[in-house]
Amino acid sequence: MRSYIIRRLIYSVIIAWGILTITFILLRVGPTSPVDRYILNIAARGQDVDSVRQAIEARYGLDKPIIEQYLLYMGNLLQGKWGWSFSASQPVLDLIGSHWIYSFQLILLSTIFAILLGVGLGILSAVKQNTKFDYAASIFSFIGISIPGFWLGLMLILVFAVYLGVFKTYYDTGYPIWSVENLRQLTLPVMALGIGELAGYVRYTRSAMLDNLRKEFVTTARAKGLPERTVIGKHVLRNAVLPLVTIIMFDLGSIVFGGAYLTEIVFGIPGLGQVSFNAIFANDYAVVIAVTLIGTFLVLFINLATDLLYTYLDPRIRYD
Amino acid sequence: MTADTVLEVKNLKTWFYTRRGIVKAVNGVDFTLRRGECLCLVGESGCGKTVTALSILRLFDSPPGRIVEGEVIYKGLDLASCTIQRLRQIRGKDIAMVFQNAQSALNPVFTIGDQIVEQINAHGQVSRADAVAKACRLLEEMKISQPERALKMYPHQMSGGMKQRAMIAMSLSCDPCILIADEPTTAVDVTIRAQIMHILQELKANRDMSIIFITHDLSLVREIGDRAAVFYGGKVVEVDTVEHILESPAHPYTIGLMRCLPDISTDSKRLPSIPGNTPNPIDMPAGCSFHPRCQEVMEVCHSKDPALMNIAGVHAVACHLFSAAGGKN
Repeated sequence: MRSYIIRRLIYSVIIAWGILTITFILLRVGPTSPVDRYILNIAARGQDVDSVRQAIEARYGLDKPIIEQYLLYMGNLLQGKWGWSFSASQPVLDLIGSHWIYSFQLILLSTIFAILLGVGLGILSAVKQNTKFDYAASIFSFIGISIPGFWLGLMLILVFAVYLGVFKTYYDTGYPIWSVENLRQLTLPVMALGIGELAGYVRYTRSAMLDNLRKEFVTTARAKGLPERTVIGKHVLRNAVLPLVTIIMFDLGSIVFGGAYLTEIVFGIPGLGQVSFNAIFANDYAVVIAVTLIGTFLVLFINLATDLLYTYLDPRIRYD
Repeated sequence: MTADTVLEVKNLKTWFYTRRGIVKAVNGVDFTLRRGECLCLVGESGCGKTVTALSILRLFDSPPGRIVEGEVIYKGLDLASCTIQRLRQIRGKDIAMVFQNAQSALNPVFTIGDQIVEQINAHGQVSRADAVAKACRLLEEMKISQPERALKMYPHQMSGGMKQRAMIAMSLSCDPCILIADEPTTAVDVTIRAQIMHILQELKANRDMSIIFITHDLSLVREIGDRAAVFYGGKVVEVDTVEHILESPAHPYTIGLMRCLPDISTDSKRLPSIPGNTPNPIDMPAGCSFHPRCQEVMEVCHSKDPALMNIAGVHAVACHLFSAAGGKN
């Protein structure tokens, strides 16, 4: 088991390195330079553009060949220096440090929301198979899966913030993270991000439960005199949870890289999605790479955690 | 109902409402189980033995299954109509079941110990240590070596025979009055089968327990049975002591069935069989369901379904040959 984990960690580092390299090259071979906007500001004050550009590029080593820049960047990264954000005029690590919490709270809350409701509805759907409740849940989940999250976000803002005035139209960073007001203003973003996932979980849970509901061990559990609650909630669910874990963990990865970005932009939440969105437009490569790298490690960690969770959930799975 | 009757099944009908029609899997079953006896339910595949066993504790899938008629009387309580809460107290406690295939009947993600302890806890306040100790004793009784180790094992870590014995141990964990064993030896090889049969025989001798033993293997009936009920087309067609069923059967179907037993004392090359097929449970023949295959079919058999009638004491048979309408007796 330990050798398996070590092996997986080594793979993770190699994968992260690969992604880092590709991201670096893609960003640096582009036609624009990270200092373009900076230079434009200076040029607007009447200084000579070319000499300023040369001076700044020399200062940050941007005039060196790309290979050299790459090695320099890697060397710095290994020493824990994540670089400088030209657009935010602060170290990348400081920038991320002050924004990650906004993404984290959104992803955490919407994942909890989606799992609790999605799995719950899925279980009920399976137990009440082919009833009105089941059909209603099916229709709801098909709609939920089909609607893009950013559109849903806009519609939620339109209805609940503009027409009904129940919520504000924008995210207010004035409230502290640990406050009821903050929780309240996260309601719409969490729904916008979570409903798509929730809808998927309803379907997956339902089919995973149905796969196991007719198994013989369920009859055994009933024959033992166990209450239906235990039969469903323990014997069936415990067997149905394995495919669910795969999907939930996989989704978590796609939320980190996809859904949360868009939701943050729609609602104006200053999380890492917003940060990297701005950084991409400013060609602020150090920030883009840093956010990509964090996302990569997160997904690799989630994958490893999933595989280890399997061995706990299903004793038949062993990796050695 | 006599004093030593522990379970009485009366005119039980369990039907399955499927898209293709109503499957009358159990269609008027009668039998009684006496204290301390082993009653064998025998018959071909699809004759309704297993559904009858599942119906006693209402364990069939519902929907589509439903008990449309009949009673299952246990200690004055009708299990076919009592509340599910009441039935749950009976399940596993008074009446326990052993299933055909322990591999799929045990939950793969829990240890054997957990699964046995769970059943003990479902029927009474027992401390974890006491429950584990009891589980351990039961595994020992089932002749499982190193029972403490076996408690911590998952089903996939055990051999087929071990799983089936663990399953029996689990069914005995609340000291039931009735054990229903549904073809417990079908999924195991012959040596394991001998072990399991040996264990069941010991249980019968050592515990005050009645056994309903379901099988299509007549040699096992001889080994363990006291009485046997022969099933055909979702009904009991003959009930008698095992000796009589095997040596002097009365119903034409039972006679045919016994003729199919290979006999090593003769040197016939071809094993006899009953002509025709088992009836389709969606579309049962009118009258006696056996009449299309019966050698002694009469006019009345096409239209009238014979009732199970007592002939002499323990012996009952459902055939017009023995009724007033047929007029042999």
